Amino acid sequence: MTAETETLRAETRAWLSRNTPAEWRQAMTNAEQERFVEVQKDWFGKLVEAGYATPHWPEGWPGGGRSLAEQKVIFEEVARADAPRLILYFVALYHAACTLFECGSDAQRDKYLPGILKGEIWCQGFSEPNAGSDLASLKTRAERKGDKYIINGQKTWSTMAQYADRCLLLARTDKSGVPQAGLTYLLLDMKSKGVSVRPISQITGDDEFAEIFFDDVEVSIDDRVGEEGAGWAVAQATLASERGLTLVELTQRMRYGLSMLAQTMKDQQRTSDSAILRDLGALIPKVDAACALADQYLQKRISDTEQAGDASIVKLYYAQTLREFVALGQRISGLEGQYHAGFMRGATQETGNWTLDFMNSYNWSIAGGSNEIQRNIIAERMLGMPREPKNWQLAEGQS
Amino acid sequence: MSHQTGVSDESGELLTQLRDSVRQVIEGTGLLGAEDHIWKPSVELGWLLNAVPEELDGLGLGNTGTHAIHLELGKGLSGAPYLPATLAIDALCQSTLSDKSSWLERLTGGELVTAPLADGDLTLDDSQNLDGTLTAVQSADIASHVLAWTNNAEQLLIIALDQSGLEWQERKTWDETRRFYDVNLNALPLAKQTRLAQGSQAKDIVTRLLAQRDFALAADAVGGATALLAMTVDHLQTRVQFRRPLAMFQALKHRCADMKALTAASEAMLFDALHSAAPEQKATAAKHLACTSFAKVAEESLQLHGGIGMAAEHPCHLFLKRALLNVHLGRGGDMYEQLIAEAFLTGT
Ligand SMILES: Cc1cc2nc3c(=O)[nH]c(=O)nc-3n(C[C@H](O)[C@H](O)[C@H](O)COP(=O)(O)OP(=O)(O)OC[C@H]3O[C@@H](n4cnc5c(N)ncnc54)[C@H](O)[C@@H]3O)c2cc1C
Repeated sequence: MTAETETLRAETRAWLSRNTPAEWRQAMTNAEQERFVEVQKDWFGKLVEAGYATPHWPEGWPGGGRSLAEQKVIFEEVARADAPRLILYFVALYHAACTLFECGSDAQRDKYLPGILKGEIWCQGFSEPNAGSDLASLKTRAERKGDKYIINGQKTWSTMAQYADRCLLLARTDKSGVPQAGLTYLLLDMKSKGVSVRPISQITGDDEFAEIFFDDVEVSIDDRVGEEGAGWAVAQATLASERGLTLVELTQRMRYGLSMLAQTMKDQQRTSDSAILRDLGALIPKVDAACALADQYLQKRISDTEQAGDASIVKLYYAQTLREFVALGQRISGLEGQYHAGFMRGATQETGNWTLDFMNSYNWSIAGGSNEIQRNIIAERMLGMPREPKNWQLAEGQS
Repeated sequence: MSHQTGVSDESGELLTQLRDSVRQVIEGTGLLGAEDHIWKPSVELGWLLNAVPEELDGLGLGNTGTHAIHLELGKGLSGAPYLPATLAIDALCQSTLSDKSSWLERLTGGELVTAPLADGDLTLDDSQNLDGTLTAVQSADIASHVLAWTNNAEQLLIIALDQSGLEWQERKTWDETRRFYDVNLNALPLAKQTRLAQGSQAKDIVTRLLAQRDFALAADAVGGATALLAMTVDHLQTRVQFRRPLAMFQALKHRCADMKALTAASEAMLFDALHSAAPEQKATAAKHLACTSFAKVAEESLQLHGGIGMAAEHPCHLFLKRALLNVHLGRGGDMYEQLIAEAFLTGT
């Protein structure tokens, strides 16, 4: 570590100790939505103002242009301070911003990025009831009428859609040809006429995701990212940011989460149980390795040497390690961990409420392309193994 | 400075040259190259100089250079005693021995001072005699001396192998790629040995050596896993069953993808540890992850090869046996998890 990064560390740490919302975990346990939004908005505003919300943005944007070392320091300190995660702004800060940086026009960046910094909430409208892993088969229609697209269809599992101001929409403009070729990427205003949202309650008791219905919703062609029919490639940029970049922060959170495991061991008087010690000793290097992989990935992005599959490795390894992490906590917490403690809004998978964390860890093995899909990508794109033969016919009556 | 390597561009270039020269030698000898086909070039091509500081006329590449060479040698299942040789050379460089430079000249010139690759048992009695056994001492038959330290790490020595009171015997391991010896010391007078350091200085150097050994074993394992995974994918691409290459079966693809993730994670962790502010604190974690991952890759690879994997003529088993042995070298396979957990809990 150089002197400058150590100065940044000291500054960040001091700032966080003054500003991190106190007792937020208690406040967010079974919290009402309004209270959740309030805490998130307030915390987001403070971070933006101090320049800590956007260290991953490029040079020239507020808070951006940070080196790998600086980004690491900021994320490490945020994790260390046990600050709330900006879950409400996750899609805005990563998916939306990174897609606009990579594929958007200057006009789109100038129009939307300042809004993100002011606290506009975004959601991701990719998945549909019949298009999950097979995303390219999606059916939500975008029909061109003059200088507008008219949207009809349904999205699902869209995280935070019930709060969102805008949506990253992947829709079909063409039914002929290969499925990927007919997709177009649009930026949709969630306040538009014809949009309705229905939250879905989750196994944790929370309702982080929602269905979105579109009934003749209008989107201007100025809000199309990339060309018509080029939506698949743009969506890959979104997914790469989701799979790889977000994990620089989340792997650090997991590393600090190890101290919660230590606490649970103490609480349960298991610190000299050598079976538990060994599982902990097996886990720690994996957590370190997940951090190292995420850092290495970020460095590849910075130096423009990213290769197909790199993000998949980070995500797959993180998801697997996270599951081991929460499973160990769950195991150590014993019966205590089985008593219902409610859900916690705006937390990561490291709440120390191990059964809740265990359930939440599926976020990372299912969302953003499941573990199985990441394995396909690694095998096919990195190891050069062949794809499945495609000549399967569904039985009569199936679709 | 290039961030990828954490070294200056000039030494980055040196590093690339070094790595290329190891690759060339390994390609020339093939897997399991005869021990001296690799040992000779490691002397002649200057590989032994890589971690020697520049002021002692070395290349000054430190950990980075050592890591790169061990990794390449691991890919080729090298049997050359490069690892123990670098440990002895590093110990010498750290010492305050008065005739350090003449020793260094001998060691980088091809005289082998070997070292134990596992924790042994060596004590100093009241009459200042050394007793005990050094274990997993590689290629002792071609070495002049062995590097050794007492259990309490207060004495760090170079001990001549041809003296009375000292016996060595080969201990054949399942791993055929390296040759290991037990070295027994029976009332060996301390005064007659070459002492590199004692007391707290010796302790510091031994701590450093244990970490170097862990990193070297980790790099060897990452190299082995990388080469073996490539071999396994190749096999699946060419072997046809059910009228298609096996590589088309998703059940097998997914296992390869998991092996890729394990290998990439071990390598990233090793690299990160080597370049961290306090590498020694991360050595046990890097070693444990890399060696257990290599063992997992080797276990899976044999399964994915099918019957041919059990044939002695096929190299699959050579990787498996080396991988299984690597897990138990260093501090003792079963100790690592406990060491890592205890160090962590002490810090929280
Ligand atoms: C917490 C959470 C948040 C989410 N947030 C969003 C969001 O904000 N926006 C959004 O658009 N989507 C979101 N998703 C949706 C997510 O992207 C999908 O759930 C995911 O892509 C899987 O699709 P699916 O649920 O239809 O499962 P399916 O595709 O039906 O998969 C079911 C199982 O089959 C396996 N499988 C499928 N295809 C293959 C194959 N080819 N080979 C091997 N195995 C296969 C899968 O791995 C899985 O185990 C979210 C999901 C979760 C769980």
